[in-house]
Amino acid sequence: MSLATRQLHLKRINRVRLMAFFTLLFFLIACVLVVENLLISTLIGFVIAYLLGPIVNHFERRGVDRLWSTLWTFFVFGSLIIVAGVFIFPNLSTALVGLQQETPSYISGFSKLISSLETQARGLFGSWFSMDLNEWVEERLTLGMASFFNHIPGFIKQLLMVMLLGPFIAFFMVKDGRKILRQLLALIPNHIFETALSLQHQINIQIGYFVRARLLEAGIVGAVTWAGLMIIGFPFSLLLAIFAAITNLIPYIGPLIGLIPALTIALVNSSSNFELLLLFLVYLIAQLIDAGLLIPFFVARIVNLHPLTVIIVIIAGAQFMGVLGMIISIPLASTLKVTVETLYRHLTESRL
Amino acid sequence: MMHPSFWTNLFRKDSKEKDVIEALRNTYIFETLNKRELQLVSQTIHVREYAPGESIFSQGELGVGMYIVLKGKVQIFVRTQTAEEEESSFVASLGDGDFFGEISLIENNSRRTASALASVETSLIGFFKPDLMEILDRQPSTGGKIVLRVAEVLGRRLKETTSRISELKDELKVHNSRGLA
Repeated sequence: MSLATRQLHLKRINRVRLMAFFTLLFFLIACVLVVENLLISTLIGFVIAYLLGPIVNHFERRGVDRLWSTLWTFFVFGSLIIVAGVFIFPNLSTALVGLQQETPSYISGFSKLISSLETQARGLFGSWFSMDLNEWVEERLTLGMASFFNHIPGFIKQLLMVMLLGPFIAFFMVKDGRKILRQLLALIPNHIFETALSLQHQINIQIGYFVRARLLEAGIVGAVTWAGLMIIGFPFSLLLAIFAAITNLIPYIGPLIGLIPALTIALVNSSSNFELLLLFLVYLIAQLIDAGLLIPFFVARIVNLHPLTVIIVIIAGAQFMGVLGMIISIPLASTLKVTVETLYRHLTESRL
Repeated sequence: MMHPSFWTNLFRKDSKEKDVIEALRNTYIFETLNKRELQLVSQTIHVREYAPGESIFSQGELGVGMYIVLKGKVQIFVRTQTAEEEESSFVASLGDGDFFGEISLIENNSRRTASALASVETSLIGFFKPDLMEILDRQPSTGGKIVLRVAEVLGRRLKETTSRISELKDELKVHNSRGLA
């Protein structure tokens, strides 16, 4: 075989390998997107795997076999979740039932608040303000709350499904993730193999830091908020703290969104100025701990995105996938940033 | 009756794994590892197949690890730039069990100092920085043994280079003194 024919043959083999790699990747992504509950289960699986992977490695370093390290870690983690669930779920369901029972009074209280605002607006703008804001808001709120409580059983069913599937995916990610990745990487053509391996390694490290740091941050913010709300004797403290912890995952606007339900409850309950001040203080302390301690020590390694990029990415995430989109849009954008940066560095720094 | 190739194919994977472990055991860098440690390394490395004439890496490229020749032949070339033109000179031919590119395993943002080319159908064991990091993370004692051996190899190469430089300096001195005389 002549040198030119051999080169052509090599190029063809490389093209086929690359096509096989991307076809497999496309097929996997399509499966995750199309199959019901698989996207959220896979995301939860990734989060659990990144969280428990270092613990499994720790046991392995002590001489325990990987399978046993994984089984033992997942058993302890599962037991902790069950114990926490036994404690949290009754409180959560009591809080939800309480919220459902008190919803009409909250809506009427909110209507009164809107009415007083409406009266003030009419006093300011006179005939210019002709809209019946109170009726419009009350109608929307009643419909919205009814739909929220109607969706709870379906949501719980979906949650249970995800809670089973997520850890199942995570278990195999921790146990066999490297093997699967190596098989996928085997399809990469020789001339770009080292770049692909290095890229995968860097992305893995970045996402690992990101997930662990953000979860720790959300957990501490949630715990501080819960403790603070309990101390000042605010209702639905656990529910509000979980909401604050979840929304804290959304940068910049997340903490503000987390404050809205507590503020609404306080306003509807006609809380005094002192009570309002205490409520603000609780959220402020949680945010000060976050900004002053957690971000510099734990989150500093996270890929920083420009505030404008963050806002655009969050809006895009919200448009495509709602609240979930708002939370996952940032890690996705960060991964994309790391990929582009690493690929660019490898391509420009190599004297090809 | 079952065709003999059926059985060959059925046991090929196992035999390939054995070949890999055997090759690792015979490589200086992994010589001190026990059976269990070699098993871990064999689960971490990447076996790559190269066609005759296929480039393994080129001089100046960013490298992330080393290769061990499992089967086949690899030729090493160095590109030198003269005033008129760029020329490629042959440095070495490596065969089964030989290893190359180990500097990239340790050095950060390492660039390949030579080019490597498969001269026949070649199987290589690739052992890269992410693999070494994984071993250090999962079994630090195994990782430590590997790093120590890589350091020994690099030290030996440094000694050889220093001694070669001394020889060249002496030769230059003799050459200059003859020129002056």
